[in-house]
Amino acid sequence: MEIIVPIKQVPDVALNIKVKDGAVVEEGLSYVISSWDETALEAALQMTEDVGGEVTLLTVGPEKASESLRKGLAMGAHKAIHVKYDFAKETDSFAYAKILQKVLEGRNYDLILTGKQAQDTDAGLTAPMLAEFLGLPQVTNIIRFSDVSDQKITLFRQGDHATEVLEMNLPGVITVNDSLNEPRLASMRGIMMAKKKPLEEVDLDALGVSSEMRGAQASMTEVLQYDKPESRKEGKIFEGDEADTVKQAIELLVSEAKFLA
Amino acid sequence: MSKILIVAEVKNGEIKKNTLELISFAKSQGLENEALLIGSGVSGQADILAGQGASTVYLGDDPSLEIYNTEQYTALVSDAILQSGATQVWLSSSEMGRDLTPRVAARQSVGALSDVTQLEISGDEITAYRPCMSTKVIQKCKFSKDGLRVISVRSGFFAADETSPATAKTVSLSIPEGHSKLKVKEVQVEVSDEVELNEASIVVSAGRGVGGTEGCDFVKPLATDLGAAFGASRAVCDAGWLPHKHQVGQTGTMVTPDFYFALGISGAIQHLAGMSGSKVIIAVNKDPDAPIFKVADYGIVGDLFKAVPVLREEVQKLKA
Repeated sequence: MEIIVPIKQVPDVALNIKVKDGAVVEEGLSYVISSWDETALEAALQMTEDVGGEVTLLTVGPEKASESLRKGLAMGAHKAIHVKYDFAKETDSFAYAKILQKVLEGRNYDLILTGKQAQDTDAGLTAPMLAEFLGLPQVTNIIRFSDVSDQKITLFRQGDHATEVLEMNLPGVITVNDSLNEPRLASMRGIMMAKKKPLEEVDLDALGVSSEMRGAQASMTEVLQYDKPESRKEGKIFEGDEADTVKQAIELLVSEAKFLA
Repeated sequence: MSKILIVAEVKNGEIKKNTLELISFAKSQGLENEALLIGSGVSGQADILAGQGASTVYLGDDPSLEIYNTEQYTALVSDAILQSGATQVWLSSSEMGRDLTPRVAARQSVGALSDVTQLEISGDEITAYRPCMSTKVIQKCKFSKDGLRVISVRSGFFAADETSPATAKTVSLSIPEGHSKLKVKEVQVEVSDEVELNEASIVVSAGRGVGGTEGCDFVKPLATDLGAAFGASRAVCDAGWLPHKHQVGQTGTMVTPDFYFALGISGAIQHLAGMSGSKVIIAVNKDPDAPIFKVADYGIVGDLFKAVPVLREEVQKLKA
């Protein structure tokens, strides 16, 4: 089975994020594959290990995004497509989905598998928009899968009030919840092999992505500014015998925060 | 003229609080709003929406709609947009809303702003604030082109008015076909009368520190005593100690209760992103360096197995 895994290179949100003058400070950021996309890649690798086929990574991003593609190849993806794109800051999910549609039309695949959202925007819009543009069924937020073939797949979706078990005829679009798996680490051998795996570079002009399809012109929404959330005031820490500390904490909780008042 | 179409959500046959919050907010802004109610046997709930302030209720009531599905729900929202002439569609950023919002927007060939926590509205000019980067940063956004506005709003950030039902003006929609390529094999409904995580005013959550299912059972009575929702960290759900629907965090449910009790939770970044909007946070953890203490208003460094019985005792006293 042929699986496309769209990935996004994002700032590592586990690190401290600084904001200055309404913008995120670039200096000091380190870039990684969005963690939900790594979960999707792991799932894709497991599927192809099970039934055969190939995993193709796809990213739309700047020059340095190739590092993330190499990392994914080192984890075991078979090949990668890098659409060179330097308008990330002004590009919204709608515009990304349109470019991905352009890349994928005319290509052969059974499944598009990606993270439920990207860790930079946390928007979760691109994959379902892409599914709509491609006219494909979607199943989002899956926590398990079974009965994989290149014809169909069984998916367990965590919905609001139930786990929904769905059978999807392929091709289709799936987004993953990170409880699906623990992504593997790249082995030394994997890292060596990744250097020789095919990484196709695609130019926007060659793809037929005109200037109206890029950046702010193609986007329906824009970010005006970034701010830090209001920081929480410093808390009180209680140490010692739980019988005492819990009582002290509850007393303050009642007097200061009107707990159960 | 601006007109808002609010996509209602239903659980166990009743309108969810997140929907009432949306209608109340639209009303507080003086905006005309209509609602779309989808489900099975839900028509009787239209009067609740009307009482809340929806001027018309579009109905998609059919057994096939009992559980959310992308295809039929997207078609119904599109139909309701057409019939109402709405200039804005508001959804909740539940699992249903997360799936439906982008699909609806794409079908209308417009963008969307998702998981919004604050709104400034002047007609169809919307300024939206939404957390991103694991809630370490807040984005201020707007729509940059004309056209339909599609947004999803996180629950718990707007107040729901207390209202009485009123006779609704209803419009029944025709029921669209499901997706031919997607078949529901089974729905594993975890039926419960437990308080919903994203609607609770108190949440009690268990982390890895509870050690197993017995530990969960040990902590849960505190939630029951408090009438609280029972949550958990990812570690607890991944280990199978509790079903995934209990998970609090970016993967799972984002919560904003008045009081959040984190018991044996160290505070992984995605958990913190999902609960740090709580008004008051109380944490119990053995490790004084646990990240949860950075967001806790009251941090108890200690053993949860010793702390929980004292907590229960104190709660009983307060309730007496």
